[in-house]
Amino acid sequence: MTTADAARPAADAAPAADAARPVPDAAPAAPAAPSAGDVAAPGGLTASDAEPEPKPVPRLMRGSIPQALLLNRFGGLGTISVVSLAFLYLPMLIVVAYSFNGGNQALIWQGFSWRWYARVFTDASIISATKVSLQVAAIATVASTILAVLYVLAMDRLSRAGSAVSTAILAAPIVVPEVVMGVATLAFIRLIGLSPGFVPLVLAHTSFCVPFAMMNIRARYSGLNPAYFESAADLGAPHWTVIRRIMLPLLMPGIISGALLAFVVSMDDFMISNFLASAGSTTLPIYIFGLIRKGVNPSVNVVATLLLILAVVVTTAATLLTHRQAKERQHR
Amino acid sequence: MTKAGWRGLLGATGKARPGQLSVGFAVPAILVGLVFTLGPVIVIGVFSFLSQPETGGGVVYQFSPEAYRHFLLQEDFLGNTHLDLRYLRSFGLSAFQALATTAVCIGLAFPIALWMTTKTPRAQNFLVLVVTIPFWTNLLVRTYAWILLLSDKGTVNSVLEVIGLEPRQLLYNSGATLVGLIYTFLPFAILPIYSALAGFDFALAEAAYDLGARKLGVVRRVIWPAASGGVMSAIALCFVPAFGSFVQPVLLGGGKVMMVGNLIAAQYGEARNWPFGAALSVIILALTLLGAFALLRWAKRSSQKVSLAI
Repeated sequence: MTTADAARPAADAAPAADAARPVPDAAPAAPAAPSAGDVAAPGGLTASDAEPEPKPVPRLMRGSIPQALLLNRFGGLGTISVVSLAFLYLPMLIVVAYSFNGGNQALIWQGFSWRWYARVFTDASIISATKVSLQVAAIATVASTILAVLYVLAMDRLSRAGSAVSTAILAAPIVVPEVVMGVATLAFIRLIGLSPGFVPLVLAHTSFCVPFAMMNIRARYSGLNPAYFESAADLGAPHWTVIRRIMLPLLMPGIISGALLAFVVSMDDFMISNFLASAGSTTLPIYIFGLIRKGVNPSVNVVATLLLILAVVVTTAATLLTHRQAKERQHR
Repeated sequence: MTKAGWRGLLGATGKARPGQLSVGFAVPAILVGLVFTLGPVIVIGVFSFLSQPETGGGVVYQFSPEAYRHFLLQEDFLGNTHLDLRYLRSFGLSAFQALATTAVCIGLAFPIALWMTTKTPRAQNFLVLVVTIPFWTNLLVRTYAWILLLSDKGTVNSVLEVIGLEPRQLLYNSGATLVGLIYTFLPFAILPIYSALAGFDFALAEAAYDLGARKLGVVRRVIWPAASGGVMSAIALCFVPAFGSFVQPVLLGGGKVMMVGNLIAAQYGEARNWPFGAALSVIILALTLLGAFALLRWAKRSSQKVSLAI
């Protein structure tokens, strides 16, 4: 903690009442922190009119409040929290442990082994399902990220009504129950003359990935100082040069983390894909759902571990990217 | 409509500011949302008023309110119509499971979020990451973990055996489903409450203590008004998806627990009654929208109250 940090609470105290102000120092700490606001607000679930942007995260600084006092007063909180967080992780850690089980049974421990990893990496059905998932996710990620970037760069120019309508539409996949979205998309696909398969999967995934890709791009965009672009324009940079050379590079951490999250959302989707996939386009989640339905299975332990690693890596990367931007802002 | 007309409807005309794109570039994203989100929702609304073909899935383009009748009424083979409560029970069960899930999740998430806000900024960032990872972890993986824990020779039963208790059937009932739902939606509850509380100035709580308020009083009159918006989003984010859940009832409930999500999916699978599945979807959507409107009204009213209080 430097003196600058210690001084900040005082500087922050005055404008703190204004919830809608831009957030210079308190970056959203993780992808889901802005999501909390974004997920609920556009669907009209909170007072979105009052707070269009996610609320600024931590303003609590060491110097301002005696932390120890607060902790004393809420003594039971720590226990509840630590137990609950253990509750979140313990089941998943058990899956990871069992993935190294050498036995034929998923649940009877017979010593450490990579055996089931080797089995999974040579399992033709799992490989082909993973291929389908990766192809769908790759196309959906690129397409939805491009759509999201274009939308974010133009969204300030939407009229009030236009932006209200568009945010509601873009948030709908999050608010509408997944099973409803799944059967509705199936009905729609049939109506426009397509039959379940690869193309409908890609179209649906692109559509529901857009809001997830957008969250971080939007958060990044709203934290940028417009002075950069204005001074570039004043110095004679053409419109597209400003976008290409200044806006996009500054937006990049948001774009990358948005793309990562879109990729995970697409890789993980089971519910909607389940209605849209055909026999030739089984995705990984659909395939392992079939396995899980029959009970515990050593191969599923391995696939589950790999998917868990994907989530950990992507979430951490996205968080680090947003943290870097927080640091940049502090230096400004 | 002319190009200029469309632009006028959507947004400002004229040149974009430096670094921004003109409003037309927002159109592809909106169009994709319109076609693949609003489109299916409209189609499902239309399908719910169509007839079922003699055999197989799909619909026949002929108006019929049969799907909605089927929800409440049933004709026996003598031609008598009587009230059929099976489907309403599914709704009741879903509502119960979703309510229980939401209650437990909020009950845990509020203290957790409060605890997180009392940590240093670095620790807070780390804790947010810890809560966020499950949020982005595959739902099937998270559900499967509980099968491993609860199955007959699973971890919980092994522990029971070690401490000398009888192993029991823990899986494939509504209790297991509920545990799975709570496990799934806990991060959904923590994050919005945390982000509501993170902007909160705890000096206010200190001031309340100094002025003689007690612990419960501080929570109720000082912290709650700051957190209530987050709690409301948390309720929405837990209740809506839990109500329409499919994966947990199938995998942990073993298909014995028929929630609305399973009922809808079954109409597009083995039952092959698309119009009925569409009608059930419309009913869920209508309930969701009603809830959202109620919440919006509450938010509008209480935000006034909150601003008056501060």
